Amino acid sequence: MGANIRRLEFKEAREGWILVIPLLVLMMIFILYPVLTNFYYSFTKWKGIGDPKWIGIANYVKMFQDERFFSSLKNTGILILYIPVGVFLPLLLSAIMRDGIRGWKAYRAVLFLPNILGPVLLGTLFVIILSQVGPIIAMLDRLGVENAARIHFLGKSKSAINILSFLFVVWMKLGFGCIYFLAAMSNIDSSLYDAARIDGANWWKTFFHVTVPGVSFALQFFTVLHFIEIFARMYGIIFTLTGGGPGYATYTLEFGVYTIGFQAFQRGYASSWAVVLFIFCAAIALVQIRLLRKGENR
Amino acid sequence: MNLFRARRILSLFLCYLVLTLFAIVIVYPLYFSAISSLKTGDAYTENKLSIPVSPVLENFSRALGQMRMLRYMGNTLLSVGIAMVLYMFICSAAGFAFGKLKFPGRLAVFTLVLFLQIFPQMVISGQVYQIASKMKLLNTYPGIILIWVAYFAPFGTYIMTTYYANVPKELIESARIDGANVFQQLFRIMMPVARPMLGTIGIIGSLAMWNELPFAMLILQKTHLRTMTLGIALMQGEYGLPVPRLSAAVLISASIPLVLYLIFQNYVTMGATAGSVKG
Repeated sequence: MGANIRRLEFKEAREGWILVIPLLVLMMIFILYPVLTNFYYSFTKWKGIGDPKWIGIANYVKMFQDERFFSSLKNTGILILYIPVGVFLPLLLSAIMRDGIRGWKAYRAVLFLPNILGPVLLGTLFVIILSQVGPIIAMLDRLGVENAARIHFLGKSKSAINILSFLFVVWMKLGFGCIYFLAAMSNIDSSLYDAARIDGANWWKTFFHVTVPGVSFALQFFTVLHFIEIFARMYGIIFTLTGGGPGYATYTLEFGVYTIGFQAFQRGYASSWAVVLFIFCAAIALVQIRLLRKGENR
Repeated sequence: MNLFRARRILSLFLCYLVLTLFAIVIVYPLYFSAISSLKTGDAYTENKLSIPVSPVLENFSRALGQMRMLRYMGNTLLSVGIAMVLYMFICSAAGFAFGKLKFPGRLAVFTLVLFLQIFPQMVISGQVYQIASKMKLLNTYPGIILIWVAYFAPFGTYIMTTYYANVPKELIESARIDGANVFQQLFRIMMPVARPMLGTIGIIGSLAMWNELPFAMLILQKTHLRTMTLGIALMQGEYGLPVPRLSAAVLISASIPLVLYLIFQNYVTMGATAGSVKG
């Protein structure tokens, strides 16, 4: 009997591995191996062809003297500053939608549209929309704004990074946030709302004392998602919207890795940027995994 | 009482107003590209804001032909389509194993999957390019398909795992006793059971691949191989195209995801929350 059970256990273990192997092989070749070898290349001088030459920490020294690197960090910081708005706004809109609005599903569906279009199409469209000969300027001009034609949204460092931040962190994520928070809110015990009403709490009080605590897990998770998006999913929008410019005003680490590695062909140097990016992402991943574990145990 | 009602109506009105304003701001780019795509170049320069006086379809035919969007659409459908078949199989197989079977190393491997899922394309781009070129996968669809699946499957696997973890074990028990092998269990029981979740990861995965830029850019360097997203990303720089034509190309590229979205909205909604919403 004991041997029989052990045989079944062995069979299950073998079958488990058989099912996982396709995923594992692909991940090993195309993710894990690249992530690991990247550390090695970050200590070499390498143009992408020929043999990489070991140069110690020279790439890192160079990185810490590179204007683009600090610009990337600063821009990432600015993007992060938009996260509170990017979290709070969909939360507020969701609370409004939940509040007896007919057709809230239609609003939710419309707000999600940017996620369907994707960063490349949106970046392409916004270049046109925000250009000096685009519709926004034409609108301002018609409204009688003086010198509207001189406004150059994406041509000035400050406005470029702020527009990028607003579009990516707030505008593009609004619909996703609404779907997300609406789902979380549907799990809140409705007796809590009844109790709040009986206590005579007004809308804002109910919002802050019932709704917000009720979705606290979703809030944390959505904030982490924002960090992932900022560090790891911005290439498409930066490439199409600003190309990293003007100057280095909209560079991020991610964008830098690509331009340094594949336009300047300094692949070793680009790897050292990728290592820094890796460290940030690993930290975020750890936070996310801890959150998921916490969520599973609830 | 009347005052109370008046206040309620006013607050409802404000709610609709706020939501509608946001909806307009969100829809504007799509609306703008739609009206612009129906104008001639001159009509656009004259009038950027309102709907076209005499709509033309010329931009669409130019975009499809001259600007190769038809070709790119075929490329995209082919590569995303094949990738999806592989992706669904890999995600449900691994999800089945992680969610329902006990095997040594399960937790470690699953944590690795979770961990690797978030890294940006850029951390691995340099080496992925190198591997692809060594394996002779540059400028081939198998190349981009394998890389897409490797990159996006961890997330799909995570969703399938959380789904399968909640499926009762009795479901496969009898099949196991009947001696069905593990792939028979997967294809005959586990995949049919998870149909709604497969729909969900199908939507998430195909949208992610449809809109993917960095890997497509690295692997598909020959013009005739481009996906629609890559084609559009590189159009701006290449020709200095008139706005109406670029708008038409954007709409062509967005058309299939938009139609899918209209039909499968529920799956999309489920997908946005799959595996992570809890209070």
